[in-house]
Amino acid sequence: MILKPRLDEIKTILYYLGKIVFGLSCTMAVPIIIGLAYNEINPTLDFLLGIEISLAFGLLLTKLFYTEKDLNWMQGMVVISLAWLAAMLLSAVPLYLSGHYASYLDTCFETMSGFTTTGLTLVQGLDHLSYAHNFWRHLGPFIGGQGIAIIALSFFVKGTSGAFKMYVGEARDEKLLPNVINTARFIWLISVVYLILGTLALGLVGISIGMKPLNSFFHGACVFMAGFDTAGFAPQSQNILYYHSLLFEVVTIVIMLMGALNFNLHYQLWAGNRKELFKNIETKTLLITIILTFLIVAIGLNQFGIYPKAVVLFRKGFYQLISAHSTTGYMTIYARQFINEWGNLALVGMICAMALGGCICSTAGGIKMLRIGIIFKALAQDIKRIILPEKAIVIQKFHHIMDIFLEDKLARSAFLITVAYIALYALGAIIGMCFGYPFLDSLFESTSAAANVGLSCGITDPGMPAALKITYIIQMWAGRLEFISIFALIGFVVAAIKGK
Amino acid sequence: MTLKYILNPILGIAAEILYALLIISVGFLISLAIVL
Repeated sequence: MILKPRLDEIKTILYYLGKIVFGLSCTMAVPIIIGLAYNEINPTLDFLLGIEISLAFGLLLTKLFYTEKDLNWMQGMVVISLAWLAAMLLSAVPLYLSGHYASYLDTCFETMSGFTTTGLTLVQGLDHLSYAHNFWRHLGPFIGGQGIAIIALSFFVKGTSGAFKMYVGEARDEKLLPNVINTARFIWLISVVYLILGTLALGLVGISIGMKPLNSFFHGACVFMAGFDTAGFAPQSQNILYYHSLLFEVVTIVIMLMGALNFNLHYQLWAGNRKELFKNIETKTLLITIILTFLIVAIGLNQFGIYPKAVVLFRKGFYQLISAHSTTGYMTIYARQFINEWGNLALVGMICAMALGGCICSTAGGIKMLRIGIIFKALAQDIKRIILPEKAIVIQKFHHIMDIFLEDKLARSAFLITVAYIALYALGAIIGMCFGYPFLDSLFESTSAAANVGLSCGITDPGMPAALKITYIIQMWAGRLEFISIFALIGFVVAAIKGK
Repeated sequence: MTLKYILNPILGIAAEILYALLIISVGFLISLAIVL
């Protein structure tokens, strides 16, 4: 028998949702400062209105539904699912007021794309967007990449038990430090240190290629936030192609790869455990899958001979591949070139790279390297079982921060999430085909949305059907939260309707 | 002890950059091999 949620359970959920919304509202102060610094009056007013609405909503929830109770697992997951939807709706307000979006749905698509670190965009006239609005587009991935709940956990939530449930709900099941609030704060510390270093590096490269210093550092900060958080937004409509610089591209590849690494690995390296980088199953799997998928892409591109020089193949083929594999979505080519010039084999290589994704507990999306590594280890274990005598005991181990014995439940869990991702990629592709798009185009765009990549072959456009926009929003949301929280929300709604 | 707290993160970041540069080198070598 399904039990109907009690009123105090709903109250607890709404209270914690209010806390997260309140935390998110505070981040809107940053574009206000940017707007004032660049003397942009109207954009500043857009954000003042946006912050007022969000703060009012957050405060209303926390005051009306105040509770001392902590969250249970189900509630934690439901809070997170709802928080991402609330973040999408509320942070879309100032962007919609900019007048650069055809509809509120387009703005919601943009904010969901930003928070989930996807990078698919529906903005119009990006090159004329104000600094404040542009910065907010890039701040979204920086907030969402670390985790929307992480903000609330770092500053506004006291109980560590409920905090941990929200942390796990955001597809982060690895604790860097024993206390989850300290873990959240450490994730912010890492991100802010890298933000300073990355902005400095990109800003200096920008100056070296002739950009004005102020503009260069603004671009540096935006590109870093969207690169390290594997989002793929850029301040200009030509994306990274705008800079026409090999050095800029190399620096962004380094940033994308660092963003695709596990926060726990960052922590280990910062703590002096540098051997972990070359022992960890995720870094080894990442290296192998990058080589394999790039071989497919390079052979595919070579068939058409469009990049006859090694440097050009590296700057176009390898760059796009790293962008896909790290689930960033930065581009040094135009979207339609994928379809018109790349050919089927190269596209298949790109789709595989996007589907695989980055590391667990990073800002990257996709199936993730740990799961791929575990599945291959499990496969090796089963092959050994067949080859060796029946009575032989086959033990398989892998190294991820520590040596872990490969148990059946680990392999099962990795396999289930992998199947769920593949189903999500396929579902989006089928819906795309229902709207008349070719199979490979639909699969490319669907995988890009569900794996939170952001590369586009041209389907994502303000003129695409509204139902497809909603499909991609759901795919981005489900892909980022790795299904569990969304299943919990569905279960909660079903219980509310059908429960007794 | 304090030096260790400053040096370890710097060396950690350097190790990550080296890992990224290793991948970049591999990518360039594959590009070269395919084109040739």
